[in-house]
Amino acid sequence: MKSVSAVIPVKDGERYLEELLDALAREGVEEVLVIDSGSRDRSLSIARAAGAQLLEIAPHEFSHGRTRNLGAERTSGELICFLTQDATPCPGWLSAYRKAFALDERIGAAYGPHLPRPDTSPMIARELTEFFAGFSPDGQPAIQRAGDPTFLSNVNACYARPCWEEIRFRDVAYSEDQAFGADLLDGGWAKVYHPGAAVLHAHDYGTLEFMRRYFDEYRGLHESTGHVEPFGVLATVRHVRHAAVADRHWMAEQGLDRGARARWTARSVAHHTGRRVFSALGSRSERVPAQLQRRLSLENRSEAAVPTDHARNGGQPSSEPLQEKAHVDAAASSTSVLPPARRIEQKLSGEVYDVAAQVWKDGPAPLLDPVPGMAERERLRLAMVIPPFSRGSGGHNTLFQIFSRLERRGHACSVWLADYYGYARAVWPAVLRHDINEFFAPFQGPVYKDFDSWQGADVAIATGWQTVHAMLQLGHCRARAYVVNDHEPEFYPASAEHVLAAETYRHDMYCIAASPWLRDLLIERYDTQAEAFQLGVDHETYHPRPVSRRTNTVIYYARYATPRRAVPIGLMALAELHRRRPDVRIVLFGTDEVLDASFPYEHIDVLSPTQLSWLYSEATVGLCLSLTNFSLMPKEMLACGLPCVELAGVSAESIFGAGSPLELAPLDTQRIADALERLLEDREHWSQRSREGIEFVASHTWDRATDEVEAGLRHALRQREAAAGRALVR
Amino acid sequence: MDHPGLERPATDLRAENEHLHAENERLRVCVAALEVELVEVQARTNAAVARWQERAYWLDRWHVDLNALMRRPGASEFRALLRAVRSVGRTYKQLKRNLESR
Repeated sequence: MKSVSAVIPVKDGERYLEELLDALAREGVEEVLVIDSGSRDRSLSIARAAGAQLLEIAPHEFSHGRTRNLGAERTSGELICFLTQDATPCPGWLSAYRKAFALDERIGAAYGPHLPRPDTSPMIARELTEFFAGFSPDGQPAIQRAGDPTFLSNVNACYARPCWEEIRFRDVAYSEDQAFGADLLDGGWAKVYHPGAAVLHAHDYGTLEFMRRYFDEYRGLHESTGHVEPFGVLATVRHVRHAAVADRHWMAEQGLDRGARARWTARSVAHHTGRRVFSALGSRSERVPAQLQRRLSLENRSEAAVPTDHARNGGQPSSEPLQEKAHVDAAASSTSVLPPARRIEQKLSGEVYDVAAQVWKDGPAPLLDPVPGMAERERLRLAMVIPPFSRGSGGHNTLFQIFSRLERRGHACSVWLADYYGYARAVWPAVLRHDINEFFAPFQGPVYKDFDSWQGADVAIATGWQTVHAMLQLGHCRARAYVVNDHEPEFYPASAEHVLAAETYRHDMYCIAASPWLRDLLIERYDTQAEAFQLGVDHETYHPRPVSRRTNTVIYYARYATPRRAVPIGLMALAELHRRRPDVRIVLFGTDEVLDASFPYEHIDVLSPTQLSWLYSEATVGLCLSLTNFSLMPKEMLACGLPCVELAGVSAESIFGAGSPLELAPLDTQRIADALERLLEDREHWSQRSREGIEFVASHTWDRATDEVEAGLRHALRQREAAAGRALVR
Repeated sequence: MDHPGLERPATDLRAENEHLHAENERLRVCVAALEVELVEVQARTNAAVARWQERAYWLDRWHVDLNALMRRPGASEFRALLRAVRSVGRTYKQLKRNLESR
């Protein structure tokens, strides 16, 4: 069995020293060396009474690295334990260290957790516990090698003598243990975190004392590493709220009564707020007047100096996990040119796109066996999975215009929200359902926020790339279909979202695309099976209103927040139009963002459908640009007798054909301005376009769109039957 | 292929085939009926959930989970207190009515 020595630097450490030395005797440490650097309390007599070796040095000779090297040199154990004067080993401490060194012959050091003393505040107790639990989530000893955290704390650590002899503590002002941890891993040694090698360490201080300690701590950190603690009011409020809630949970777990919880909650808020403020102040101490520094400092130190935590803590080394973290930062700075790295706690229960990764890993859930004749049944069970929405969402309007009609046709319809980003986290299901009815169309069925209550469906319907992976995981479905409103990969530059969106078309789902252009694109680019439906127009709302038509008004759907609307190009075209025809009134609508433009214009916010119909009924020409799939808006303009200019060469031709009632122009500001100008000046041409537009869209109804989508859903079921038939024949 | 003793008359096979065909049809009808019933049940479930969502709108709007609220310490005592206050009120009103009617 390896021999063990313990080295304890002490200054005015009488409070816990006797208890510490008793614990070392109980654990069976053969050799104990106390290095005193000028105690004025009973520390020396306590050490002598316990039979420890005593080495006295002058206070100015103390340095963390140098003094500990001295202690290691003056002892002879094969294992050297370093403890601070306020760290009391728990039963089993030495045995745990012995087990740690037995795990591998290249173990150079081991360390254990710092447990809170009974008088420790819940804030500190929680942080300490969570901090050390992070090193060993399963509660087992964890070996750390190169690339793992360099954290090592001489509050409670044990070193193999050969390792110490090879590396030795650096003679640094701060964080000699952290530097050793980094050097150890770099040197090919390993270290062990052993949960059993625990010491009682933290204890409570008054709120103000804590604040002043944080000021000192961060002033020291700034002086030695240049670290400046970030600070912001909102971030502080968020942090304090988060930390106070975590403290309350901790207190509840520890069984504190309500009165104690209330008292400690108040102190928790003060503690976390003070910590943020005082640490920010400490790390900016050079800007704080000397007199104020002295008042803020627990050391009563008014000027910058190279600090030692020995001095800062009145001889007692660091105790809070915050300081442990500060040590980590300091170590990084002292051993690397890299800026200090921050340990970020877990915030989410999973990554945003875990659901996609799960599908990649396990594949889609199996579909139910088809039932003969299921595609022809009068009523189907339809479950539509939607992404989060807001008022005015065009895609959702399309979905609910159709889905509400499917419901009215007798199908059993339900809606399920897939919310990767938690946009609708604060919105409860009944409110979602209410909003769907208010924003889009009357829907009588239930709305669910997650899939815990999933009941299966004849057809599960994905409606956007963010819904596909969630939908693919749902079981008890006869078929799956994908209502594709637009080619969504084009919404993103090269990115994870772009790739994920494109990948959704490759899951062998029957696609029901919102235009022939989109259908052809899906077939050609993704080799998927697809059919198209035509967007409908609500003719009860969109029809010419009894208002006199202006002769000089161009209205432009300037939704800048939607990049596929090419708003900068639209604005350039309007600027050109204004240059040619300064008398033309230009109105921008569809956005609450007032845009800066090189021409004067009138701005109207987001309008309701009825308001839009009045706007379309009095304007002279509409302008709407679509870089991907066609927008519903030009159809609604046409329904109100308003000729509209759209982009040529994208998707409009696939809907309106060669003799389009739309005025199509290429993506060229001059040509767009030409098209607008022609409609403004040529009354006969304007009248023809207006008449043709009304006639063309008359047959474009939501009932027809619903027919087409329903046919697509039944086709998806029919495909399943056919596939089952083929499988039987084989 | 000769399998002595296994030959079966054509009439038997035809009868068995017809029997299987009839059984198949019967099962198809049964499955279709069950499918219709399943849609019915689903529609009723949807309607029930939707009805409760309609009723729970303001609770959801204000993030009030009544079940969680009533599980909190003191909630049942508070409810009992309310009941007691209401019964006192009712008794008082009843007494008042009785006295007035005399």
